[in-house]
Amino acid sequence: MASVSVLNELKKTQILELLEQGKRVDGRALDEARELSIEVNAIPKANGSARIRLGDTEVICGVKIQPDRPFPDTGDKGLFICTAELLPLSHPTVETGPPQPPVIELARVTDRGIRESHMIDVSQLVIEKDKSVIGVFADNVVVDYDGNLFDACSYAATMALLTSKTPKWNWTDEKPVIAEGEDTQLPIMTIPVSVTMAKIGSHIVVDPNGDEWACMDARVTITSDSDGNICALQKGGSDGFTLDEIVKCGETSVKIGAQIREKLKAAQQGAQ
Amino acid sequence: MADKRKYVIPGDVVTTGPFRPEQNVILDGDKIISTTIGISEIYDDSVKVIPLTGMYIPKIDDLVIAKVNSHTSLSWELDINSCYVGFLPAQDVFGRDFSAHADELSSKLKTGDLVAARIANFDRTRDPLVTISDRDLGQIDSGELVEISPSKVPRLIGKRGTMIQMIEMATDAAITIGQNGWVVVSCESPEGLLKAKKAIQMVNEQAHIANLTDQVKEMLELKGES
Amino acid sequence: MGGRDATMVLLDENGIRCDGRKIDEPRRIMIRAGGLKNADGSAYIEFGDNKILVGVFGPRDVHPKHMSNTDTGILRVRYHMEPFSVGERKNPAPSRREIEISKVIKEALEPAVMLEKFPRTAVDVFIEILQADGGTRCAALTAASVALADAGIPMRDMVAAIAAGKVADTVILDVNNEEDQAGQADMPIGYMPSAEKITLLQLDGVLTPEEYKKCVQVGVDGCKLVYELQKKALNDKYFGKKGD
Repeated sequence: MASVSVLNELKKTQILELLEQGKRVDGRALDEARELSIEVNAIPKANGSARIRLGDTEVICGVKIQPDRPFPDTGDKGLFICTAELLPLSHPTVETGPPQPPVIELARVTDRGIRESHMIDVSQLVIEKDKSVIGVFADNVVVDYDGNLFDACSYAATMALLTSKTPKWNWTDEKPVIAEGEDTQLPIMTIPVSVTMAKIGSHIVVDPNGDEWACMDARVTITSDSDGNICALQKGGSDGFTLDEIVKCGETSVKIGAQIREKLKAAQQGAQ
Repeated sequence: MADKRKYVIPGDVVTTGPFRPEQNVILDGDKIISTTIGISEIYDDSVKVIPLTGMYIPKIDDLVIAKVNSHTSLSWELDINSCYVGFLPAQDVFGRDFSAHADELSSKLKTGDLVAARIANFDRTRDPLVTISDRDLGQIDSGELVEISPSKVPRLIGKRGTMIQMIEMATDAAITIGQNGWVVVSCESPEGLLKAKKAIQMVNEQAHIANLTDQVKEMLELKGES
Repeated sequence: MGGRDATMVLLDENGIRCDGRKIDEPRRIMIRAGGLKNADGSAYIEFGDNKILVGVFGPRDVHPKHMSNTDTGILRVRYHMEPFSVGERKNPAPSRREIEISKVIKEALEPAVMLEKFPRTAVDVFIEILQADGGTRCAALTAASVALADAGIPMRDMVAAIAAGKVADTVILDVNNEEDQAGQADMPIGYMPSAEKITLLQLDGVLTPEEYKKCVQVGVDGCKLVYELQKKALNDKYFGKKGD
């Protein structure tokens, strides 16, 4: 199928016309996110996993927890590594090969959203100082694309980490050995939630779908924690935001973030 | 008249014997084998399978909805929802005395525009030639594009147009169906538009059920939003 | 084939395998046709604890152009394992094993797909292993065949696959991960049921000529069982619950 990424002009005009009336093509309010469906433990053999559907965007995150060597300058901290990959089956325009800048940005923004919030207390993930620590790997794969991968990956990774189970390791004979006993939750300090907003013309919409993503002028992804503090932010796209717009986006992200956080917590409860 | 319609998948033997293999079947020895998911039809001297999935392959005279991908100074390239790309020459729009110097293609059609077009010529060795120079063809300037599987188009049209007429009458929408699975829906009322879109998606997703027409009719008769 | 675990009992005195199965019993298999919104065709399979998703695009243009073939379409297959799909987290970059399996699956599908109908185009098959537990290439090939049919790519036949093998000097059907690691032979087989052709065949291990013949036969019979599930998956999606 040739050039699916060329958004047809009619659709673009429609999107703008409706926005002028305060409406969106799929009937949502400007500050309304799409339906979020959460499946915990989608990959039972991983330490934790979640499959997220945000509208028609679908992401699976698998968490693997295993002993690793610490970084040279932080021997008293465990490792947290978060990645994101756009699978070629998610959209006809996705190519195989080394990741392109937009996907690298997606991975790094998802990683920072969780890392900067201090969701996981990595100081509790040490097996033997300077020698062996616990490595927590959260790998996101995008399985179907319909806009806003930033939030989908954020929710998938957060859910997978919240419901992960880890064994304990003891340092025995100069190597980490799995200890007897039940697996436990990771040391979770807060629940970060990202909210992405797109600027189309002079309107700001929350959780842009694929069509809105294709015609937006700029976007911002803001991550807030359980205390309502903003801990990570990324602006993207080739246009700019005014000061007022950016401040309003901050408020919206905390408000909508709180709603989403309740859904994540409910899913976590459901899984226990 | 076809008899013995059967559901088949690739590799299924439709029948054996001296039949001429037509669309979506191959001859292997004396076995006629389906090459796609579909419904087989056996005629007096030929066999074919009507596909229930698969991409659009252009046929001459097909009405299609197309999207402008790009253009040179001499022609437009149209996305017709196929691995083949539609070729629309400038003369089709500007007329015989088209001049590459004087006439600018993007003044008539630019990237992203939707058009109703007809397949003028196609043999699989080169991309299909497309025309928009009839009265019912040309740029589409209003309405919404809905995509369905090209194999569901006959179901959406219905026997002698009954399905599409039912949807249009119940919603007051004007619906243009491209053989390539792209459908344009326009309606004055947003409720009618939503209902029409819903009906089209129902046909796309449930084309296989026996009482589809009744189900769609029921949905259309429900008052208000659903 | 990994190390041999001398303590694992792969076949007990009642002919029961380490996961409770009989010697000719395959693991639980579930196949679903469709499911992805953007791919032209898709399928999802659970084969024992294997969870595999396949998406197909095509026929479509080939870029760069020099990779296309003027006489026939080309088939491209990518078998890829997610980092979280295996015991120890796997690096996302393609490994040599994944590249070899991609090729083997491609060559198992080529006899079935009618590429000559679409010169200068490509059909892309993307296989994603979400969770692995022995026999992924067979499960992947099985799902790929369903995804290709779902996309409406013309095919002469379906391709169904399963692995036969040997543990405790006994030929078994559908080798799981423990049996692959600690058993005596593992033979993945891919088979076109109508054409009666074997299009994927590999072997790890040692078999006598009689065992070899038995393994192939057991494998082909196993493929026929898998084929019934492929049919069911396509029936469920396209024909309601009706068959013929």
